Amino acid sequence: MRKVLIGAVLALLPVAAASAHHGWSAYDATLVLTVKAPLQALSWGNPHGSAKVKWQNAEWDVILAPVTRMEARGLSKDMVSNGQTVTLIGYPRADGSREMRIERVIVGDRTIELR
Amino acid sequence: MLDMLAGLVEGTAFALWAARDPLAYPVANMVHLLGLVMLVGGIGLLDLRLAGAFRAIAVVPLAAAVTPVAVAGLLLLVASGTVLFAADAAALARSQTFSLKLVVLGLGLGNALLFRLWWQKRLPAWDTDAPLTGRLMAMGSLLLWLGVAGLGRWIAYS
Repeated sequence: MRKVLIGAVLALLPVAAASAHHGWSAYDATLVLTVKAPLQALSWGNPHGSAKVKWQNAEWDVILAPVTRMEARGLSKDMVSNGQTVTLIGYPRADGSREMRIERVIVGDRTIELR
Repeated sequence: MLDMLAGLVEGTAFALWAARDPLAYPVANMVHLLGLVMLVGGIGLLDLRLAGAFRAIAVVPLAAAVTPVAVAGLLLLVASGTVLFAADAAALARSQTFSLKLVVLGLGLGNALLFRLWWQKRLPAWDTDAPLTGRLMAMGSLLLWLGVAGLGRWIAYS
């Protein structure tokens, strides 16, 4: 039994970070990206919306916010689908992979904060 | 094994509902937290008593009072956790933290079942004669459940 307990305690020690972290700290906020493009492969879902975007000859993963937050702030799925060009302001992942988390979205003359 | 489970869940009507219904995920999150409060609030209190704290409280009536609360909490956790997993199955299947959480969860359940098997009959005598192994298992129980909770929260940051 003691071995089980010791094993359990060891299991609780800090674990190596994997790479699926979408929290703000995984992104480099000193590099502000401004991307004007239509969203592709839009997923209007939880735990957060996501999409893909073509930028600088590469495909980037775009991390949006939880659905209720986006809708509460006035961003609807219709506003960003149908190939409409939108402006995304966000940050790239600090580890260099092609994924950006979006701080705000500008659609027409409306700016929607996602944080 | 987890990616197999994720493959089974992904694309089902249940998974689509979990991800696309605006309220399913946040409500499941709240229920998950409620279940955690009931589980740790219930069994954690009993664990502390079994380990040797609050000796003015008799073990048997305390166990009878809080165990159903903890079991109900566990059921809420499993139900809401199923929704949370379905909404984000592929990412969770890749998460080492989530895998570790499930392992520690298994240890917690195993520890609870073993405790029942070994010590259930000794509970009436616990107030005067608490076995050391049983007290250690009770402390282990508290640490394991807190570990599961901590790892669950850590999924979002790893």
